[in-house]
Amino acid sequence: MHSKQSKWLWAAALLAYAFLYVPLIIVVVYSFNDSKLNAEWVGFTFKWYDMLFKNEQMLVAARNSLLIAIVTSVCATVLGTLAGLAMHKYKLRLLPLLVLTPIAIPEILMGVSLLIFFVMLNMTLGLVSVALAHIAFCIGFVAIVVRSRLQGMDESLVEAARDLGATPVQAFRLVTMPLIMPGIIAGALMAFTLSIDDFVITFFTAGAGASTLPLQIYSMIRIAVTPEVNAVSTLLMVLTLCLILLASKLAPSALRAE
Amino acid sequence: MKKVLLALMLAAGTVHTAQAEDVLHLYNWNNYIAPETVKNFEKSCKCRVVQDYYGAMEEMLAKLAAGAKGYDVVIPTGFAIPPMIKQNLLQPLDKSKLANAKNVSPAFMNTQFDQGNKYSLPYSFSTTLVGYNDKKIKELGINPSSWAIIFDPAVLAKIKGKVTVLDDSREVFAAALMYNGYSANSTKPEEWKKAQATIIKAKPFWAAFNGQSYIKELTLGNIWVAHGYSSDMFQANIDAKAAKRNFGVAYGLQKEGNTLSLDSMVVLKTAPRPDLAAKFVNFMLDGKNASELTNMIGTGTPNAAAAPFVKPEMKQNSAVFPSAEQMKKLQQLTALEGKALRDLNRMWTQVKTAK
Repeated sequence: MHSKQSKWLWAAALLAYAFLYVPLIIVVVYSFNDSKLNAEWVGFTFKWYDMLFKNEQMLVAARNSLLIAIVTSVCATVLGTLAGLAMHKYKLRLLPLLVLTPIAIPEILMGVSLLIFFVMLNMTLGLVSVALAHIAFCIGFVAIVVRSRLQGMDESLVEAARDLGATPVQAFRLVTMPLIMPGIIAGALMAFTLSIDDFVITFFTAGAGASTLPLQIYSMIRIAVTPEVNAVSTLLMVLTLCLILLASKLAPSALRAE
Repeated sequence: MKKVLLALMLAAGTVHTAQAEDVLHLYNWNNYIAPETVKNFEKSCKCRVVQDYYGAMEEMLAKLAAGAKGYDVVIPTGFAIPPMIKQNLLQPLDKSKLANAKNVSPAFMNTQFDQGNKYSLPYSFSTTLVGYNDKKIKELGINPSSWAIIFDPAVLAKIKGKVTVLDDSREVFAAALMYNGYSANSTKPEEWKKAQATIIKAKPFWAAFNGQSYIKELTLGNIWVAHGYSSDMFQANIDAKAAKRNFGVAYGLQKEGNTLSLDSMVVLKTAPRPDLAAKFVNFMLDGKNASELTNMIGTGTPNAAAAPFVKPEMKQNSAVFPSAEQMKKLQQLTALEGKALRDLNRMWTQVKTAK
């Protein structure tokens, strides 16, 4: 009886995973296919990757994506860590709500409202507007990870440091910070990943000359899903996967609590 | 940490202020200008061209309506021009700077969407037509130059299950209207009824409504006849050749008429560099420059001066260079609104659910 049940569970789990991963595997496989059609296997080739690295538009988009992701992860990590600390220390009802709302708000609403806001400020849309938008929605994610790390921390350590004559700043720098560091790094990696992959908010806030990789891919599939799109998608997938693995290694508890 | 941040912000800043140098921002469909054309223009104007892309007209309109600025030139499809004019997004073209405007074939000027070409000048067009497997259709002795190939049950009997039509209510009804001898933009309910009857009679012979993958299906030989866009058929033929198939994908206009989708160049009111925008529009109206896009993706060119530069095998194609006779039968679809649109949607649902 018991084993029968677990068999069904295994089967269900396998099906669910297959549904998630088979399409991704197909994209990866076809990115090495020596034919323009995503329909039949002709032979192995690297030519799509070669074409990709010669495609200037693509390289500019990749550069924009990376630049925005780096700026976003740095800023969102600093602000998100501060927010996490504040949420942990001051048990205010409103604060978590304010910090975490951007996570719950539908992206499309956030994109539209940010666009209207930027236009109202008479700001020229460009890389800066995209980075600001990304920072806004990444802060909450970083704050959650940092807060859950703090909740798992032994408060008596900080108290002991204070008893031994450390100033609040020293106590934070020498005790709290090293202890929550894995959480901070995991948060930064998450922010980086979210920024690299975001489409909806970027779509609304990107101005002239600030196309990112997801925007580029989207405009290309209007015509047909070419192997070049498969190739760039594969690279993006690999990058995202590495970052996620790294983040979960660093802060397993935080990501499990999610 | 702080230093890194500062450096990055500065880097972002320099990217941002770089817009002050000579840059033309083009807001366009992806893959809709030949790379060599861009290079030549950059040489001639001593500036850089930065392109941004949209995937649909609605997307472009939404973004500009929300107040996005920074683009100089946009290349909208006909029906998107009136709302842009209405929203006061466009600036009138200064014809004195556009000597090459004379190259445009008169048939493409003065359309219903911009009377007198105050704001727009034609860039490129595609037609909605029938693309087919040349080997199979020849073997079966079917005449592909009439809409009968997708509507006449007698003809369809030979190619049952090997035909797809666009999943687009407006395009399918337009084809059926023209097949019945009416205007593609007819507003008479009885004509629409007749078109609907034609569609429902033909439907059992069709494999699918397909607007996405018919290029692939044609290339693989899974379907033999597809209702679709001329530039897609051009692509399907190239793919079939590349995949070393024993057939090609041929296409041409239908004798009853076809719908035409004309993309034009417009300059935004908020253009940072209207001077470069004018230079660009004039440059693209040059025959040789206009021909490069046609040679690359097989779209039709409204530019009469482009003819000598277009690849010879394409010149014969009626979808690229329609004859004066065929030109008269090309119609741009008008935007439907209100009751007409609701009627179309209702009739389309009936088509979709018909057995």
